[in-house]
Amino acid sequence: MRQSVLRYAFALLCLLCAVGLLVPGPDSAHGQGDGQEQSTLLGFLLTEQGQAIAEAEIEVFLDGEEEPVVTAESHEDGLWEAALPRPPEQSVEIEVIHPHYNTWTYELEPEEVAVLSQGESVNLGEVNLDYSYTLGFWVASLTFLAVLLLIAFEKMPNATAALFGVAVVFAVTFFGSKLLSDLYVFNFERALTYINWEVIFLVMGMMIVVSVIEGTGLFQWLAFMAYRWSRGQPVILVVVLVIITTLASALLDNVTTMLLMVPITLEIAIALNLPPTSLLIPEIMASNIGGITTLIGTPTNILIGAYAKISFNDFLVNQTIGVLLALITMTLYVLWHFRAVFSQVEKGISPTLYAKLEQNAKIKDINVLRKSLLVFALTIVVFAMGEGLEMVPAVTALLAATVMLVWVETDVHKMLNLVDWTTLVFFMALFMLVGAIQEVGLIGTIAGFMGDVVGNNLYAGVFVITLGVGFLSFSIANIPLAASMLPVVEYLSGNISGAVSSKILYYGLSMGSAMGGNGFLIGGETNLMTAGIAERAGYPLSFGKFARVSIPVTILTLIVGSLWLLFRFEVLGG
Amino acid sequence: MNVILCATRGGEASIKTQERAIEMTKERGGRLVFIFVSDARFLDKYSAPRVPGMDEEMKNMGEFLLLMAKERAEKAGVESDYVVREGDFKTALVEAAKEVGASLIVLGRPADDNLTTLEYLEQQLSPAIKAETGIETIVV
Repeated sequence: MRQSVLRYAFALLCLLCAVGLLVPGPDSAHGQGDGQEQSTLLGFLLTEQGQAIAEAEIEVFLDGEEEPVVTAESHEDGLWEAALPRPPEQSVEIEVIHPHYNTWTYELEPEEVAVLSQGESVNLGEVNLDYSYTLGFWVASLTFLAVLLLIAFEKMPNATAALFGVAVVFAVTFFGSKLLSDLYVFNFERALTYINWEVIFLVMGMMIVVSVIEGTGLFQWLAFMAYRWSRGQPVILVVVLVIITTLASALLDNVTTMLLMVPITLEIAIALNLPPTSLLIPEIMASNIGGITTLIGTPTNILIGAYAKISFNDFLVNQTIGVLLALITMTLYVLWHFRAVFSQVEKGISPTLYAKLEQNAKIKDINVLRKSLLVFALTIVVFAMGEGLEMVPAVTALLAATVMLVWVETDVHKMLNLVDWTTLVFFMALFMLVGAIQEVGLIGTIAGFMGDVVGNNLYAGVFVITLGVGFLSFSIANIPLAASMLPVVEYLSGNISGAVSSKILYYGLSMGSAMGGNGFLIGGETNLMTAGIAERAGYPLSFGKFARVSIPVTILTLIVGSLWLLFRFEVLGG
Repeated sequence: MNVILCATRGGEASIKTQERAIEMTKERGGRLVFIFVSDARFLDKYSAPRVPGMDEEMKNMGEFLLLMAKERAEKAGVESDYVVREGDFKTALVEAAKEVGASLIVLGRPADDNLTTLEYLEQQLSPAIKAETGIETIVV
């Protein structure tokens, strides 16, 4: 009874969230008047890179008075409005104050004062504020760097490291700034505005959907079928495994996909007397590359899609061929690299070992598999149709999760245990941390620097983003990297003709962060966890062994991906 | 009956250990039992979720590796069997040794001749097992 109530309560919560995300918010028009004529001053506050500045305080002084007659605050889009309580007689001075920008003062021209005196409004247009590199800037920036290092060197789990970073920022803001106001970074309310709830709900919904499918044994069965279809021919086996891993990673979570496929892949390799690395390395790479084909294939794509409003179909249409070309490049290189071992393969395995392989690859529950695949197929269809329905992907994921809960796997405790809350907490903390470095101006400064390098050159933009992010992803966790690069890409896109509408640099970010994860063994959890399982089977996958294949493959695939994007948007257009 | 318990995995180094254990069983007579201790706890240190059924997959992989070892032993004319255990290596090894009535435990030398691991096996693990079970342990 209790379980049933919980199940329906969770289903209701998912539906409410879905409806909440689907229903458009109230009209965000600011400062609608009540019909009474009143002198109003308004304008937009922007960073040096043209991004809106929110929560700046605007003080308006009339006729040389020492106290402001009115104060206002800039909104999320940078707009500010100040309705004057009385018309000015001689002068109007404005002061804009923000903890992370130099204070801007402006005295209105006599003709502007005259307009206000007649009860009319004056629009001061866009005003760019200069960054003020306070102590808060250094604290937030160094904290972010420390979090990246903690994650890269595995000193702390991702979520703990990100929470630690947020805690430092808040501690400095709430305790430190009382002693030294320069230490202020941002308050809690402001931090919450940086959390992208669309991402959180999309990830949560898909975790439920995918975890049901993963428990059916489908991946193990597919890996075994790869062996059967290839009849033990290593070249065919590699190609089939790459195809299966790519498809699975494009539609599901690539870390889990790999975890489930690694043991049986190892068994197949050992049975054929192949070094397991010859099958595991292309699988790892296919899982990292394949994920970028769709919006839901990688966490970085989910971040990019939600930020840049790139739909499921957009990813599919604009990335798939690039991904295929990169996969072909990777597969050819791997086949060439392992050509010697592939020629020494055993011709067949004993009936006992074959029977064991078959047994290990059995589908665990065919009924659950059928139902979950049906729900999943419908989910994909709705993702594809979502754009037409003006339905954000998070709604689709939540609806799919609800159907799974009500129809396929009704044990609510089991389902909620399958949600990786650690990752969701990591995302929330990361959003706040990236918000902190955005707030203090670090991201704007990096964007400004990269803008100077790239200028308005599309080719330079694509290569700098794809290869630059790719190389950084060799060792830096790609999720925080992508999250922090999003505003930078937004700024660079604004400088390059056509890049805002095509979103080409966002695709470059997607390719760079995913493909770059193949560079080093430490580039991604998929790589490390696969190596861990292989080691426990007695087949260690060392940094050097991996790098001998991964570095050339990663460089080649990053170049292929960049060239594809340029071809797609510059030659094919659209 | 003389029972040798051989802790093993896959890989070149493990095959050498298996071959040595097969030889010793032939020399001494009796039965050879291979053991694989599956431990998926290392996955907990990653932020990715612990996949349900992963322990089962690791055990399946262990069984497969031991089946190959068993085939190798039988090809050499040695009667053999295998057990797959989960959790802490030493605890699992001691339990299995008692269960199968082992008279000797064979452990493999670290693949890369890692001195720290070798020292641990020879100077800590082997005496500890001897003290707890009275069974001799050798590193080959």
